[in-house]
Amino acid sequence: MDFRLTSDQESLVEAVDRLALQFQHKPTEFHGFALFGEELESELQQGEYFDIAGVPEFGPLTAAMAVERLARLPFTAEIAFSMLVRPHLAGDLPRPLAVIENGRPGRFAATAKTLLVIEGDRVSIARPAAGDVESVESLFAYPMGRLKRALDLERLSDADAEQARKWLRVALAAEVSGLLKAAIDSTVEHLTLRKQFGRPLGTFQALRHRMAECAVLAGGVRWLMLKAAGTGDDGDAALAVSHAQESATRVAYEVHQMLGAMGMTLEHPLHLWTYRLKALLSELGGRGGQARAVSRIIF
Amino acid sequence: MDFSWDDEQRAFRATVREFLAAHLPSDWESLAHGPGTEWQSTFSKQFCGALAEAGLLVPHWPRRWGGRDADPWTSFILAEEMWEAGEPRGGQYMNVNWIGPTLMRFGSEEQQQRYIPPMAKGQTIWCQGFSEPEAGSDLASLRTRAEKDGSTYRINGQKIWTSYAGHADTCFLLARTSPGRNGISIFLLPMDTPGITVRQIPSVIGEGDIHEVFFDDVAVPATAMLGEEGKGWEIVRTALSLERVGIPRFALATRMLHRAVDRLKAAGRFGVGAIEQAARARAACESARFYSYSIVDQRRHGITVGPEASAARYATVLAERLVSEFVVEHVPEALAGADQMLLSHHQRAIVAGVASGAAEIQLNLIASDLLGLPREPR
Repeated sequence: MDFRLTSDQESLVEAVDRLALQFQHKPTEFHGFALFGEELESELQQGEYFDIAGVPEFGPLTAAMAVERLARLPFTAEIAFSMLVRPHLAGDLPRPLAVIENGRPGRFAATAKTLLVIEGDRVSIARPAAGDVESVESLFAYPMGRLKRALDLERLSDADAEQARKWLRVALAAEVSGLLKAAIDSTVEHLTLRKQFGRPLGTFQALRHRMAECAVLAGGVRWLMLKAAGTGDDGDAALAVSHAQESATRVAYEVHQMLGAMGMTLEHPLHLWTYRLKALLSELGGRGGQARAVSRIIF
Repeated sequence: MDFSWDDEQRAFRATVREFLAAHLPSDWESLAHGPGTEWQSTFSKQFCGALAEAGLLVPHWPRRWGGRDADPWTSFILAEEMWEAGEPRGGQYMNVNWIGPTLMRFGSEEQQQRYIPPMAKGQTIWCQGFSEPEAGSDLASLRTRAEKDGSTYRINGQKIWTSYAGHADTCFLLARTSPGRNGISIFLLPMDTPGITVRQIPSVIGEGDIHEVFFDDVAVPATAMLGEEGKGWEIVRTALSLERVGIPRFALATRMLHRAVDRLKAAGRFGVGAIEQAARARAACESARFYSYSIVDQRRHGITVGPEASAARYATVLAERLVSEFVVEHVPEALAGADQMLLSHHQRAIVAGVASGAAEIQLNLIASDLLGLPREPR
């Protein structure tokens, strides 16, 4: 065990943070849900960040750190699948990727070049053409899309499907970890500035304890996510998502409660993180699906 | 970042496991071995004596005091294995974790020579005279008085919730020598000193665990004071920071969760509801484990441990709670004679958020020091 970052990891994380600086604030005029970061995506592409998991000195663990940090931004793009799942799939699959799970709308599905189609126990690859997919309006703060028609599917072998599921789990946990951090940070800022009864809200113990519990949960998600990315172990990945979805449910509720009416507005960025968290709650079978995986792999 | 154990760490864990296999009684898991029972207290001296002989009691202590200056991972692996086995060291874990090291740092030569060797040999039990009827979370408001009378101090007052007091040889006692936070001093007090009365408090957590201790004009020589008069609060804060990670409760909680699941599977009772709760509890245990490891890692690299230690402690409380609730809901027979090990764990888990300071104090620290929220008005 040694949790210090290598100098390569440190420099990559710093580079990601530098790149992220210009995307840190929600544009004031944006009052919507899916704040897509076209420029962010293009910069990541140009900097070859989507391929870092395959670089020996970085690997999936560093990619997970990058996903986690980029998920804190108000802008979103298809980053996690490309950085953490695509390198573990056979063949040269064009990005962006999206997942269609049991026929439901999926994040980034309307613009994806590669689809991972999950139907029960089967995982298949599809390459959608224009007209095969369409955008869906939603409360979720990701661009959502769905299939318009049945596509030709290349079914993955059971082993490849397991591999895909594992890295989808790591990608999901890394994304949740970043979203939790951003949602909590944003709430802490509100609780520090907003005064009622003559003092900052953050001085009231009823709120402090709940925020502290949220922080503990979020930190735990981060550790489990890093471990899963570092070990590439199926059980670790299932535990990470189990804890991530469990914690996301709790934190999404608490931070909206703390923000009061301000959190209901589209002016405040909170919904960008919480409605992404809510989109992720049901993925990969939701908490029940993770529990079955934990039971099968660990118990 | 590396999540694997190195060869030396793996070998050390294997050595500790072999020791446990060789030295725990064959019926260990069926015994009601709460940490404060008379049987456990007697057994702990035999067990810790053997640990000491094998070089496994205080490996992290300096060579001068019988250790080998082992790194924080060594002592944490040792603590994990001991706690996971049901803590056969009983109350002596306190000696090795913080009482010994505190005496090494603040004790007089005479105090060190008198008290440290018996700890290093595993032959002595201490109790911690901290909480009082009116001073729990607000420990600094303690009232037990120590008044100077020539070359002695006379101690009057009461402690409560004192673990291991019934079998302790010595008390690490906090007493007031003057008003205010700077008026607290520490005394190393032999428990057979006239004027000390110990009463066990019958409790849910098992026999012999908690006590009231009364001090009626107890005379101690001034040489029994640890450090300078009025420096007790400072010393205690330093002492407890030596043990910031706390007990690796997640280790036993994880093992007990698997034990409970195995029982359910064998009985064909591991259904959907149980599976979901078990997965949640297992993830919470793993979260507590890596939070705690991150603190050990910081200590290993000489980084001053900050409020993350409070988060690690709270994550452990959450894990203990989920495992304990899982057992109560799905394996209720464990609390009714079917599984002594699960029962003992349940009794230990109850105190996770209470012993060593209420978990709510940790939440306050996390809110202020980790999240940066403004402090509460006082």
